[in-house]
Amino acid sequence: MSEKVGIFVCECGPNIASKVDIDKIKQNISELEDFQDKELVVKNHKLLCSVEGKKFLEKEIKDNNITHLVVAACSPRDHDTTFMEICKKTQLNPFMYQMVNIREQCAWVTPDKEQATKKAVRMIHGGMDRVLYQQALEEKHLDSNPDVLIVGGGIAGMEAALTLAGEDRLVFLIEKNEKLGGKSARLTKLLPRQGVSLNVLHQKISEIENNQYIKVFTNTELESAVGFLGNFEIEIKDVNKPDKTTELLAGAIVVATGFELLDHKVLDSYNVKTDDEVYNALEIEEMLSTSGKIIMQNGKEPKKVALIHCVGRPEVGYCSKVCCTYLLKVAKLIKEQSSQIEVTQLYKHMCLPHKQDENFYDKVQGQGIKFIRIKDSIIKGTKIDYTDISDVKQKMDVDMIITGTAMIPTKQTKQLAEELNIELHETGFYQEAHLKIDPVSTNTDGVFVIGGAHGPTGITETMLQAQAASGKIFTQLIPGEKITPEVKVSEILEAYCTGCKTCLDVCGFGAIYFDDDKGISIVNEAICRGCGNCVGSCPSGSIVSKHFTNPQLYQEVKEVLR
Amino acid sequence: MDYSDNIAIIGSGIAGMEASLMLSKAGKKVTLIEKLSLIGGKTIKNEETFPSLDCSTCLVAPIQQEILQDGNINVHTVSEVSKISGNAGNFKVEINKKARYVNLEACLGCGACYPVCPISQMNEWEENLTKKKAIYVPCSGSLPNVPVIDADKCLNLSGQEDCKKCEEACMFGAIDFTEKDEKIELKAGAILAATGYDLLDVSSMENLGYGELLEVYTAMEFERLFAENGPTEGKLVMRDGETIPSSVAIIHCVGRSETNYCSNVCCTASSKHAHFIHHKLADAKVYNIYSDICLPDKTYQKFHQDVKENSSKFIYQSDKDKMKITKKQGKINIKYLDNKDETQDLKVDMVILANALIPAKGSDELAKVLGVKQDRFGFIEAQPFRVGSVNTSKTGIFVAGCIEGPKDIQNSVIQSEAAVAGILSLLKDK
Repeated sequence: MSEKVGIFVCECGPNIASKVDIDKIKQNISELEDFQDKELVVKNHKLLCSVEGKKFLEKEIKDNNITHLVVAACSPRDHDTTFMEICKKTQLNPFMYQMVNIREQCAWVTPDKEQATKKAVRMIHGGMDRVLYQQALEEKHLDSNPDVLIVGGGIAGMEAALTLAGEDRLVFLIEKNEKLGGKSARLTKLLPRQGVSLNVLHQKISEIENNQYIKVFTNTELESAVGFLGNFEIEIKDVNKPDKTTELLAGAIVVATGFELLDHKVLDSYNVKTDDEVYNALEIEEMLSTSGKIIMQNGKEPKKVALIHCVGRPEVGYCSKVCCTYLLKVAKLIKEQSSQIEVTQLYKHMCLPHKQDENFYDKVQGQGIKFIRIKDSIIKGTKIDYTDISDVKQKMDVDMIITGTAMIPTKQTKQLAEELNIELHETGFYQEAHLKIDPVSTNTDGVFVIGGAHGPTGITETMLQAQAASGKIFTQLIPGEKITPEVKVSEILEAYCTGCKTCLDVCGFGAIYFDDDKGISIVNEAICRGCGNCVGSCPSGSIVSKHFTNPQLYQEVKEVLR
Repeated sequence: MDYSDNIAIIGSGIAGMEASLMLSKAGKKVTLIEKLSLIGGKTIKNEETFPSLDCSTCLVAPIQQEILQDGNINVHTVSEVSKISGNAGNFKVEINKKARYVNLEACLGCGACYPVCPISQMNEWEENLTKKKAIYVPCSGSLPNVPVIDADKCLNLSGQEDCKKCEEACMFGAIDFTEKDEKIELKAGAILAATGYDLLDVSSMENLGYGELLEVYTAMEFERLFAENGPTEGKLVMRDGETIPSSVAIIHCVGRSETNYCSNVCCTASSKHAHFIHHKLADAKVYNIYSDICLPDKTYQKFHQDVKENSSKFIYQSDKDKMKITKKQGKINIKYLDNKDETQDLKVDMVILANALIPAKGSDELAKVLGVKQDRFGFIEAQPFRVGSVNTSKTGIFVAGCIEGPKDIQNSVIQSEAAVAGILSLLKDK
């Protein structure tokens, strides 16, 4: 088939037409010397993006059997998709079209009409040269598996499992401990709605156990996962019998591995021995669940209790968000146990980020609990030296200290991040794909992070995150539907690759793997997003970014700069 | 049972937009209803977002574009929901769609119509810091990039004069004075309420001087003042049009005692504002006057710390209700109680009030139309007996974003994605 290049100049009403000489552009383009051996169709239209304009373009492409198309109009940001969609209705592969922006980059910024006309001709000429080097690219449609692996059987993982599971979607829920429930199972009351008890949690556990579409694996950890959104090959192992592994297939992975609490004993300001009456939140919860109340190791009720906020916050570098309300809850519980117990809260900032929190704070304040705002504190056993907000040094001796210690990432976080190729935030928690607009996704498509693994979160937010990840999976992995990966991906030319592995380090999506047999890097096209990092980094120039190849870019730039 | 595959989403802020795109990807039809002439909500009023200082427009514009180009999403601007009937799976939704008087298909957004319009009025989208014509887009970069005519102000539409200046200036025949308000009826399987927030009116708080003292700004006014596409094109010049402030105080927790909740985002926004000022006006003194600092995300403290070390002095006040802002000898004087409960005076050129977030205007009416419960603050309530829910008191109607309570962008997006899960699960079961 001979090359037939179509050049369509959009007037954009007066936007382009009044700033350049459309007829002159058409004439100059038709007379280009290096295109004399090609068949050209050069036309203009008042407004190509209008309904009528789109019909016109579609008919022209079909009637003239255009093989290469250049549209000179506005910014591709406005209408690149529009014109690609038109191509799809014709015989022309949409990647055989190139848009040239003669509005924002020419008509609107070059005041002299003659200059602007010349410039437009050059830009269009560049587009024409480029389009000749373009190659037709075809979308691929891959089968995808709608099933989901959830790592972690706490409240986050359970909520996601219950949201996701159904007759067309299996959920594999793995938990390293012998029971489901995670840390929430150790809490006695949920916050700040004190009326909601943990029956909810136990109800969820039984719902999961009775759900035929959820396969629970307790005492189980993730061994390995390879693949991409829609197709992960997963190996899980029995914690007690590491040789015993099971293989699973899933389309997505949800990481819900929770958090840990910082041990206050590691802090310089805490000189505390194991048998001192100093407890963190989880120890208090355990105490409450075993003895039903707050008591000391000698079995007696403490007379004076101090609750210290923000423990470890300066060290970890972030606010753990739930500790203020948590300590308010504990203070309230102690007062309800016995109003005789003197309860003091030592805090720096009261962080009450949810709309119900302040009212709860008001209630707790009315229960005879002392609130002291401090600047810093040093703890020795159950003796506290602190500086209050007015810079006065004070001392306090109590029977028991309860610390609001920082939530920190679990020890396994880093290892799992490496296994799943997801990035870590500088705080050590998993990093979201985008903090603001994609908060439960990760840099690896198909892998999601929710709950305490994501960062300090309360139960409400944890459950919302679990549902959010489910929403993402519902829309990305539709049972029975194929997935269409990015077309403009990188490709490594085997003959040129020296096997230096530079590209493996620069790829943020884990899309490149190394073939040991051949000694070269290979791009997994299903994962690659076409960012081009590897192309720029490759010392031997063996990586090509499809639709943005060096010859294509060179041809375009050469004409514009001529 | 027969059910509608269409989902009505009320409000086109970040929460409404995220849900629209996700539902479209899942093969659903979406009717996105927005009362203003542009989509994007409050996020686009911010120049940069905390703490990564991403340019908001750069974050949101591609989302807005995608919405406008998505064949599954039907956007109704200048529209409000007037009536709902029916039940989950089969709601009947009535929309009052106001006339725009500018044809969305024909208009290119070239802007030839505004300069010729003889009418000038305050631009409330720009927090009344600038004016607009009777035919206008709220700000440059509005999407859809098509103006709207204010029928009350337009000489022609209000019957004052036979003015056709904009019509004559338009080269695409896009102006249509004959357009009428419409009532649209449609079916929806589920409804998502995502109308966002407004900011507490601080003019009644006499001790803060807002309204009376031109040097006192709200946080949103400052955002627009700082914005490159805003009324001063990002120049930090005060209302008199010439003064560049050499000292600025940012007051935290304004209106918190009135609302009885922490608004969640003001500490971060105020840190950001301090950073903005310091970077634009390196010599200006910046003060943040606070009582409690709330930084509820793993990424927030680091930025705040950096601001504290480099951009602003943070001053603790022991009782925020005792503050008094007045003007003395040409300077703004802030009287406050310090950490020793002693009265202090701080003199500055400019004050920014970080005022509380409240339910978006019209929430009471919306709640009534939808038949859903509100909490005692007026926010639309997520099912109170299910922790971590985005269901409202009425099955099939979901809630996301700040209309449920004050929250930052990511938590609005999380709720929106959770609502999508709820909607898809609900419609699957029907």
